[in-house]
Amino acid sequence: MYIRPVTPADIEYLYLMAKNSGIGVTTLPDNRQKMQAKLDKAVASFKRDLEEKDRLYLFAMIDSDSDEIAGICALEASIGHDDIWYNYHVGKTVHMSKDIGVHKITRTLYLSNDLTGSSEICTLFLMPNFRKNQNGQLLSKSRYLFLAEHPQLFGRDIIAEMRGYSDEEGRSPFWESLGRHFFQMEFSDADYLTGLGDKAFIAELMPKFPIYVPMLSADAQEAFGRVHPDTEPALAMLQAEGFDFNGYIDIFDGGPTVSAKIKEIRAVRDSKLYSVKIDDQAPLPDLTRKDGLTLVSNRGFDNFRVCLVATNAINESTLHLSAAQAATLQVADGDSVRAVTLRPETTHV
Amino acid sequence: MLVVRPSQFADLPSIERLLHATDARVTTLPKERDKLSEKITTSEDAFASGLDQDGPAAFLFVLEDSDQQQLLGTSGLDTEAGGGYPFFNYRLDEVVHASHNLNVSAKVPILFLSHELTGKTLLRSFSIEPSLKKTDAFELLSRARLLFIACLPERFQRQVIVEVQGIFDEKGDCPFWDGVGRHFFGIDFNTADYYCSVKSKTFMSELIPQHPVYVPLLPERARNTIGQNQQAANRACSLFYREGFEKTPFIDPFDGGPVLSGEVRDLHTVKQVRFKKARPSDVVGGLKYLICNRSLKDFRCTIGTLVDGIGETIRLPLDVAEALGVSEGDPIAYAPL
Repeated sequence: MYIRPVTPADIEYLYLMAKNSGIGVTTLPDNRQKMQAKLDKAVASFKRDLEEKDRLYLFAMIDSDSDEIAGICALEASIGHDDIWYNYHVGKTVHMSKDIGVHKITRTLYLSNDLTGSSEICTLFLMPNFRKNQNGQLLSKSRYLFLAEHPQLFGRDIIAEMRGYSDEEGRSPFWESLGRHFFQMEFSDADYLTGLGDKAFIAELMPKFPIYVPMLSADAQEAFGRVHPDTEPALAMLQAEGFDFNGYIDIFDGGPTVSAKIKEIRAVRDSKLYSVKIDDQAPLPDLTRKDGLTLVSNRGFDNFRVCLVATNAINESTLHLSAAQAATLQVADGDSVRAVTLRPETTHV
Repeated sequence: MLVVRPSQFADLPSIERLLHATDARVTTLPKERDKLSEKITTSEDAFASGLDQDGPAAFLFVLEDSDQQQLLGTSGLDTEAGGGYPFFNYRLDEVVHASHNLNVSAKVPILFLSHELTGKTLLRSFSIEPSLKKTDAFELLSRARLLFIACLPERFQRQVIVEVQGIFDEKGDCPFWDGVGRHFFGIDFNTADYYCSVKSKTFMSELIPQHPVYVPLLPERARNTIGQNQQAANRACSLFYREGFEKTPFIDPFDGGPVLSGEVRDLHTVKQVRFKKARPSDVVGGLKYLICNRSLKDFRCTIGTLVDGIGETIRLPLDVAEALGVSEGDPIAYAPL
């Protein structure tokens, strides 16, 4: 298993994947034309044909045995440039009267474009048959090594939007209590339209004035800022890397946004450079175990590669790789690579 | 005979008794003795200072059975709503949420906090002995204020407004309050209402939510009561509508009750008023009229029968003349009941 930038030939797989992702992964539109546009954008980004702030870095995880695409993940260089980025900021309004002894804090949602210009980690999707052997961890965290290697291409902060809570029938209480009144459409339709990048309608239909949270239904109040049960592991993974809730939620499903300063993300901050030593005796990773694994990437850009190696393949400043591993990473003896343990050493997520 | 006259300090215990006896909420008349006496004093000043006084004045009238010396109702009139402070309402407005691409267009009702009615002439503090609700006394007590305005138009604004009590359920809860105000004031309606009458109005400014309220987000019970009056206020409303008042987009920020508004010069009472000199006489008959003297300090208004005709003078039943305290040649005003 390894990670590489997408190529034009990946379109069929990507489309198949989009059809499998279901409602709620707005960045994976179930629409061939839009998917093609997304892929084209990524290909142009890796060719440096686009301005830095317009780039989308889309990566594919490849099963080395079958050459099949097992999953994808992406980094958006800077959000809200060719469209408008909306969130609700969960703020507070305080009402106080000394005269009658009232001091009341009211949570209030403010429509905002505050996160414009942040970088974003997005579009994580792993095919169900590959959800094993640390593949999810590899796929998600491979991006941190790209960030560590190319910090000048990204903003200071990076965010991740977490899928919001919805029940078994895909019903989002937050949407039912707020958006529905203004959009007159099903959540899935609104979600589909945003996924297509059709954000003009948000500006046209969204309530512009702040929303007092106590005026939402009780289940909506409980739902916002909560992630979908399927997304809880992803949230935990991000939190373990140093991401934290930043007070912004999705305007449709109320899902939380988490953010971190890029240089303070654990896998960015703790990643180090090692010199490659091709070694037939190099210990191989045991992917059935959570510990003892290390992410390693080459230092490339359009030929960027990431895979997992055994932590004990590191000996001081040298990383021992088998010939096959070195071929996967497209590195040779003496090349410099970047590595960090797959998980934080003190906590096991 | 039933007479409307300015309230006096001596009325205090009677007004207190009346407020306890009536079920209607009279926000502008506190049951607390200190505050109530303050209101009466303010009113006495207003009646005493005449036309020269600048700035806000608050008149409080009482309905009295002059034979029995019994106090049967109150009604109030402010020259300026808010009395120099902001007068709060919600204005029910609409915003259109439309998307051409999606072929969606919806008018979304929304409540904006407004001070627009600040400074308008305000009718308020109406309370009446329950047994008199269905009699002419109701009209006398309410319309005496309009006749008063007709006599002193220069003292009042061109627009006159009245807040009508909103909807309360059987348990005395106010759905509009529970859906809106309660979240911010953290207290029940009655407590808020009580504070409103006894505390300075500052707490209103401090606590009332400043952002517009999207109506579709309110509970159905609250939505349904916006601009609706309590059934008990139907009589008062129909009287105001007959006078030429109309519903406005404004509602009470607490109970959601409607605010009615009229142009003074278009009001029935103001248009129909006649000013003549009294000739007390025992030869009477004719139609029922609302009749008042032209005094400010000793204002009196009652119902009597008159035969209207041409000329500068009009014959006035003796008992009416006595109740109004007028003698031969004194000016009076009257309008059909």
